Amino acid sequence: MAKKPAGPQMFIANRLDDGRAVFLTANGEWTKVAADAAVGQTDEEVEALAVLAHGAEDANLVVSVTAIAADTEGNNLAPAHMKFAMQAKGPSVRLDLGYQVSPNWEQ
Amino acid sequence: MYAYDTYDHAIVNARVEEFRDQVERRMKGELTEEEFRPLRLMNGLYLQLHAYMLRVAIPYGTLSSNQMRRLAHIARRYDKGYAHFTTRQNVQYNWPKLSETPDILQELADVEMHAIQTSGNCIRNTTTDQFAGAAADEVLDPRPYAELIRQWSTFHPEFSFLPRKFKIAITGADEDRAAVKWHDIGLVVKQSDTGEIGFEVLAGGGMGRTPVIGKVIRDFLPVSDLLSYLEAMLRVYNEQGRRDNKYKARIKILVDAMGADEYARQVEAEWAKIKDQPLDVPEEEVARIKAFFTPPPLPVLDNDVPTVNAFADKNFLFKAWVSNNTGAHKVPGHVHVTISLKPHGGIPGDATDAQMDLVADLADKYSLSEVRVSHEQNLILPHVAKKDLPALWEALDAAGLGSANAGLLTDIIACPGLDYCSLANARSIPLAQKLTERFDDVKRLMDIGPLKIKISGCINSCGHHHAGHIGILGVDRKGEENYQLLLGGSGAEDASKAAILGPGFDEGGIIDAIEKVVAVYLGEREDGEEFLPAYRRLGADVFKEAVYGAR
Ligand code: SF4
Repeated sequence: MAKKPAGPQMFIANRLDDGRAVFLTANGEWTKVAADAAVGQTDEEVEALAVLAHGAEDANLVVSVTAIAADTEGNNLAPAHMKFAMQAKGPSVRLDLGYQVSPNWEQ
Repeated sequence: MYAYDTYDHAIVNARVEEFRDQVERRMKGELTEEEFRPLRLMNGLYLQLHAYMLRVAIPYGTLSSNQMRRLAHIARRYDKGYAHFTTRQNVQYNWPKLSETPDILQELADVEMHAIQTSGNCIRNTTTDQFAGAAADEVLDPRPYAELIRQWSTFHPEFSFLPRKFKIAITGADEDRAAVKWHDIGLVVKQSDTGEIGFEVLAGGGMGRTPVIGKVIRDFLPVSDLLSYLEAMLRVYNEQGRRDNKYKARIKILVDAMGADEYARQVEAEWAKIKDQPLDVPEEEVARIKAFFTPPPLPVLDNDVPTVNAFADKNFLFKAWVSNNTGAHKVPGHVHVTISLKPHGGIPGDATDAQMDLVADLADKYSLSEVRVSHEQNLILPHVAKKDLPALWEALDAAGLGSANAGLLTDIIACPGLDYCSLANARSIPLAQKLTERFDDVKRLMDIGPLKIKISGCINSCGHHHAGHIGILGVDRKGEENYQLLLGGSGAEDASKAAILGPGFDEGGIIDAIEKVVAVYLGEREDGEEFLPAYRRLGADVFKEAVYGAR
């Protein structure tokens, strides 16, 4: 397990069937758009999101649920660490296909 | 090529059905991820950053054209129209859906392929010389022995849960093109003075965070004893290899801790107990397997082909390609051809479905329907008549497969890195792409000569950076991608560990640094001296000064 990040947090996971990286929204849905993710500012808020996220894991919708540091500084909310930011954006190569082209791309 | 018998077919098909059932149960929620994960890994299915990744075994890098066509079909039907050939001579798909994986595995099983033992702490795909059975310098074809090892190691009950993954490489030529000294076990096929066939046996090589070059533990092992001896080697490791710390679990740590002599002694002692048990296969079975690899009936042709020479005189790129991408074949008038998967700006090891189909067609037309995958992430047509080279090159070049850079600076090994891999610290692919753009001119590349650049996105070293003449290692420096520069490694018979030159660089900085390293080499080399010998003669300091001096 990665160590618990400090500061504002969001939840990332992979969808069970296609493995696509997705982010937890405030109403417990999973979105492909990192900017639409819910951010927990306090421990209580993060805990509430964790309950939702792990519920989706138990319901076999997603796997590999992870709390990650959120970058709330810029115009768009994004994962703070480059690895999770990469998951939000898709590979930086083969920009001719896939969700590198459009976040709404479906397999 | 080896062809499955009914037993092979039965076990592979049974495994597909078993996995189909497991996937269905996972999708229905009858299996938790925790329960399912080891099951999917046993079938080569990883979860990466953006999607699942399926790693398909290509035993010792040998494919038929039909198998290649099936790989193309899978890329088209189930993936995004491309596949990635790896440093274990395997192939990976980056975007399969979990629910479709059983269908993919069935498609593979139908052409005698699978993804078994491409993950987990078991014996992985045995790798070998990509020119096996073709190269003029080959002493003996290693493939029958690689096949014996495949059969012995597949579902070996005692070695399914080793302390850590286990990799064997085997070569039968004087020039080591399979990096055998960097493997858990390395085997070099030898013929004794009396004509007896056997192996020099090395143990304890490996990359990762503790790079070690394997040590010879036996000078000559008769071929008839191969499997019992391997069994003894694995037993000693399985029993004494560390299971408490995964970073210390590879055989290299054990051999280092007890000393190669002591490891060899224990192996011999274990072997003495088991060598007379029926572990080694009978001669008839070896003969049966060997029969699949009898040299193809190629006609002896003239080595000098005027039409080819005339074509080369008019076309420099073709001439360069013949010089760099073809090599001497056992049968006069023939060559083995390396199809570079390192085009300008391309992703090392990637091929599109159309390219794979084309390679299959060209293999049918020009290479007895055989294709190979090299650990350097290229494809090989092993048996091509020289007279066919112009037509072959034109067909390849039209499909973006005609790069004349085999063995040169832009023939880069790069792991998937942070673009795909969840273990990565930094991206590897964009570096390789930028290097192929920076060093674009074939004349300049040929002037620089043989130079192997190898890039890994983390210390796991899938990109073999420890063995690079120039190695690049991606690290995470306070949340930023950073690249360490290593010089002086070799994966060949003169194996050596590359050494870190100094502080790391960002992406632009590492490319500039490589340019400086190359400039030092060009300035300092003696007549005909290649990069690696020049580095060994000059030492690191002169390179260090050029790269860091102005700081
Ligand atoms: S070297 Fe590291 S980043 Fe590259 S493929 Fe291997 S594990 Fe992934």
